[in-house]
Amino acid sequence: MRSLLGAAIEEEADVTLVDMEAGIEHLSRSGGTLAYADVLLIVMEPSRKSILTGARTLALAEELGIPRTFGVGNKARLPDDAEFFATVAGEYGVPLAGIVPQDPDVIEADRLGTPLGPDKGAPVRAAVAEIVAFVDEQLVQAG
Amino acid sequence: MKLGVVGKGGTGKTTLSALLAKSYAEQGRRVLAVDTDSNPNLAQNLGLDLGVTDEVPVLPRSLAVGLGDGTVTPAGLIAEYGVPTPSEVTILHAMRVSQAGAG
Repeated sequence: MRSLLGAAIEEEADVTLVDMEAGIEHLSRSGGTLAYADVLLIVMEPSRKSILTGARTLALAEELGIPRTFGVGNKARLPDDAEFFATVAGEYGVPLAGIVPQDPDVIEADRLGTPLGPDKGAPVRAAVAEIVAFVDEQLVQAG
Repeated sequence: MKLGVVGKGGTGKTTLSALLAKSYAEQGRRVLAVDTDSNPNLAQNLGLDLGVTDEVPVLPRSLAVGLGDGTVTPAGLIAEYGVPTPSEVTILHAMRVSQAGAG
């Protein structure tokens, strides 16, 4: 369905990031403009439950016709959690876009309610830049 | 390109969304960040003051799912409802959760 928001996203932005607080299932019922992403990232914590939730979201995303869905392993205590994410996400069939390390700078910014300062959280920023590159690569491959 | 970010509370989704949006903006791309939360934290993570955050207007549902009354253009939608942030990302507050399941 065409919507003015859809046109604005196409014409006025190169990248539109939708923070899907209500979940894709809710957004899909609300008209679709926000639900149908080119790429969906599922943020997960290093716990089996969180990755299982990710797998369920992945299945739902496929049902909705979202073409590319990946998990992101967040708050990873390295190196152990990187392996945990790879193993358990593999078990549940969740492809990973990247792993983001746990970072005291991020925890501090969260506590203060401030954005992460430009000189803070270098390992997290590097991991995020890698995810951006990964997503670009997926879209290039898709043509 | 439309990138959706989803995740349960506590996973760090909003923090990660803000960092992703900033990363794209740092590459010189025009980034629109759409918060669908009734309690929007994304704007704050993008460096908007809390006072300004609370004043970000909610995009009417008629424009999110339809074409409105025809008087608003796509650029006009961004001008009217988009709020620039210090991180060069434009934020749009799309929907209250109470509206999300409707329709």
